[in-house]
Amino acid sequence: MTTGFVIAAIVMLVAMVPAGVVLCRGDLPASLVAYEFVTSVAVMVLALLAQAFRRPAEFELPVLMAMLLFGSGLVFVRTIERWL
Amino acid sequence: MTAAGIIADILLGLAALIVVGASVGIVVMPDAYAKLHFVTPATLVAPALVTLAVLVQAGLSENAGESVLALVFLMIGGPFLSHATIRAIRVRETGDWRQPAGGIKPGGEAGQ
Repeated sequence: MTTGFVIAAIVMLVAMVPAGVVLCRGDLPASLVAYEFVTSVAVMVLALLAQAFRRPAEFELPVLMAMLLFGSGLVFVRTIERWL
Repeated sequence: MTAAGIIADILLGLAALIVVGASVGIVVMPDAYAKLHFVTPATLVAPALVTLAVLVQAGLSENAGESVLALVFLMIGGPFLSHATIRAIRVRETGDWRQPAGGIKPGGEAGQ
């Protein structure tokens, strides 16, 4: 285990909490912005944990999530723009 | 601890600091336009630092390659997503993303 990577992942997970509060309690545009922040931080956390515990196979997760972040973000944005 | 480990830890510390700062900014800023400024460091700068840390720690390996791939996706998608978000919020607020024909008065309202 690489301690620095684990600590960085924990710090980033804790940093997601304030943004999570905005995501849950803010108005719709602010929630969307917080969602984008949380997902991009989640990509980093997954990469950090995969490196920390030396599991190369789990590096697929951040790659897939980075791809899905773009698609899902655009879906949310379009939904807000047109229907909400 | 090796020099590579120290450099990786410094890069990770910077990345964590940027993410924490961005998170505080998202909470503190008054509206979505201002909050969106703080998403960019967490989408572009911090992942670049994390990728560099993995590169320093693991060298040219499969891990580093996949980290770079994730970073590339974030770097390509982030600006598009930010632009689309701003556009969506503006459409939601004003009905159209374009500037009104009469321009915008200093107070923010459309002119005649």
